Amino acid sequence: MKLKKVLCVAMAALTAFGAAACGGNTTGNTGADTGSVTTDGTETSDAADEGTSGDNQVLKVAAVETAYGAQIWQDVCAAFEASHPGVTVELTIDKKLEDVITPEMKSGVYPDVIMRAVGGEQALTETFVKDNNVEDLTDVLSMTVPGEDVTVGDKILPGFVDNSITNPYGDGKTYLMPMFYGPCGLFYNQGLLDEKGWTVPTTWDEMWELGDKAKAEGIALFTYPTTGYFDAFFYALLHEAMGSKQFTQAMNYGEGIWETEEAQTVFDIIEKLATYTEPTTPANANDNDFQKNQQLILDNKAIFMPNGTWVVGEMAEAPRAEGFEWGFTALPAIVEDGERASYTFFEQVWMPKGAENKDLGKEFIAYLYSDEAAEIFASGDSPAVQPIVGMSEKLSGDNKLFYSIYDNGAVAVMDAFATTDPVEGITVRGTFFDPVNSLVTGDKTKDDWVSQIISDSDALRAALKQ
Amino acid sequence: MKNKRRRSGFIAACVTPAIVLFIIFMIIPTIDVFRMSLYRWGGYTAEKTFVGLQNFSTLFASDKFYRAFQNSILLIVIVTIVTFFFAIIFAAILTREKIKGQNFFRVIFYIPNILSIVVISAIFSAIYDPNNGLLNSFIALFKGGTNDDPILWLGSPKIVIYSIAIAMVWQAIGYYMVMYMASMANIPESLYESAALEGAGRIKQFTSITLPLIWTNIRTTLTFFIISNINMSFLFVKAMTNSGPDGASSVFLSYMYQEAYTNSSYGYGMAIGVMVFLFSFALAAILNAVTKREEIEF
Repeated sequence: MKLKKVLCVAMAALTAFGAAACGGNTTGNTGADTGSVTTDGTETSDAADEGTSGDNQVLKVAAVETAYGAQIWQDVCAAFEASHPGVTVELTIDKKLEDVITPEMKSGVYPDVIMRAVGGEQALTETFVKDNNVEDLTDVLSMTVPGEDVTVGDKILPGFVDNSITNPYGDGKTYLMPMFYGPCGLFYNQGLLDEKGWTVPTTWDEMWELGDKAKAEGIALFTYPTTGYFDAFFYALLHEAMGSKQFTQAMNYGEGIWETEEAQTVFDIIEKLATYTEPTTPANANDNDFQKNQQLILDNKAIFMPNGTWVVGEMAEAPRAEGFEWGFTALPAIVEDGERASYTFFEQVWMPKGAENKDLGKEFIAYLYSDEAAEIFASGDSPAVQPIVGMSEKLSGDNKLFYSIYDNGAVAVMDAFATTDPVEGITVRGTFFDPVNSLVTGDKTKDDWVSQIISDSDALRAALKQ
Repeated sequence: MKNKRRRSGFIAACVTPAIVLFIIFMIIPTIDVFRMSLYRWGGYTAEKTFVGLQNFSTLFASDKFYRAFQNSILLIVIVTIVTFFFAIIFAAILTREKIKGQNFFRVIFYIPNILSIVVISAIFSAIYDPNNGLLNSFIALFKGGTNDDPILWLGSPKIVIYSIAIAMVWQAIGYYMVMYMASMANIPESLYESAALEGAGRIKQFTSITLPLIWTNIRTTLTFFIISNINMSFLFVKAMTNSGPDGASSVFLSYMYQEAYTNSSYGYGMAIGVMVFLFSFALAAILNAVTKREEIEF
């Protein structure tokens, strides 16, 4: 009996201890739990976090780990520390960055600098922008790049800091700074075209001709990895059809914009393209199986797919048809000698309003545009290229071809749909791009799709940021 | 008297940690879900605006929510009926009949339950692959060896939800079968013997002896299953189609996830959470009421 009691008490004590331990974790620093790594590769401990006394400043940088790898960020942070004595950069880099930094942010502790592009599934960046929680970084543009004598603004390629992504509120101020960029367009197998004696179409009419020729040989004209890849495609096509002014209206969900002739041209092209799409594409057009759709290009079962430069690295290990060689082109023009556009995808670095070391953070962001940092970023196996003057000339191999697309006359399109307050139940992808799957399977008609776009656009327009 | 006081003190000391834990990790978060559903909130920062019941009125006007609702109910109904039907039949066969390799079948049926949902999803994605998947290749045999017009198991908005249902049934059968086998094994052999003497056939034995005697077990597992079905369908959808194509396979929780995170509408997501909470509660209560029978013991 006595033993039983003792056991009970021991169990109770154990549970209580467990509770205390759990409670401690939720309020304590998550750095150690999540295994965030500082630049020297050691686990951060609570003690290190508090070491902000005296000259020693601690800068918290959070970056998402993408195909470019984590090493470049660790190297850049180390280089920043070396050039700024007394500064310690505490880097959190993770593929699931949101999961790692969210618990701390909810308790009010924000990283000073966050590198995460718009378009992520958990929409970290979008949420901060929608909540007006990003710091104005316009003054960084006039800062001198550390160790150099040019300003950041002069170093960044034109167009990259005056688009609707970096200036989400349309007030002429820059809130998100452009980082690694890459052109998006149509990827294909150059070897296949050479073998068959086909040429890359320059207009959509030529595209359809090629589609018919290919169909006769059992090859589909088009495929897409997932409908998410239609964003870049849609923006570029819209720009081709509309020109800059109307395009800007469309990006702001302008009233009546989708009923214009230009918009209808775009919808018609996508509808027609759906009939030329490899029929099994929608079955694999999800985040798990999309590589099977990309494989169609490597296997010569489809000719074109919209994609970005990362696809080369992504499919590096995949088996491929004999004589395969990556080809890359801007979208065909709508009319003879018309505009050919290519969307420029770029990632963004920004600062949450709750950041503590704002000045140091801005210094760090300015440093990211230095030649020193750019060289480190571009040193990996798949180089991360920044929109800095002269960067594209330093590239070699496939990348040289990709980045030269704009030198060959293609128009660079950079904007995206304007930021709105969150509209419950409506997402841009769900309204504009996901229905392409249904167009291909024939479960929706173009009219269903367009009327959905028109009604959702009305709702989004009403929620636009002023 | 003193002893009694000490006793209650001791009991209180033993129970308190559990109660505290329960309140911290169950009660407070649940209340929080209800509270959050009244706010407009992005989910990452501390800024929230109180909007009253607006999230709910948006919810009731949204086709997407009704589609997710429909899909969830469809999965609950189909998967539950099919799973229970087969689980009970297989359990009855494996316990009552003498088949060669009984243990072998037992293991085979149970294997899906050991696998993680992600692995099962990968297996089924391979089975459903339109070009060289198992299912389409098999069907092609009957079409003269060609796979010209492949069925898009995960690509057609009309079929996709059934494809997911099949994977869910496959995953669940083994577990419930083992549960029923356990309770069937407890039924005394003498009941069957006397029934056989009276001239009752196997089917009569099953409906008059087996089924009534494992009814309590069926009732409990049914409630379990339906609640877990809501969670499971999320895992399957997330791993197999991510609600695609064009949202055709979205279920309660995938829609909630999409709104709460991707669409920066955490409060709206919580409103969906509240609806799911109420729905599963109501469903469990209804089930409990309609399956109530007089308990029979042996």
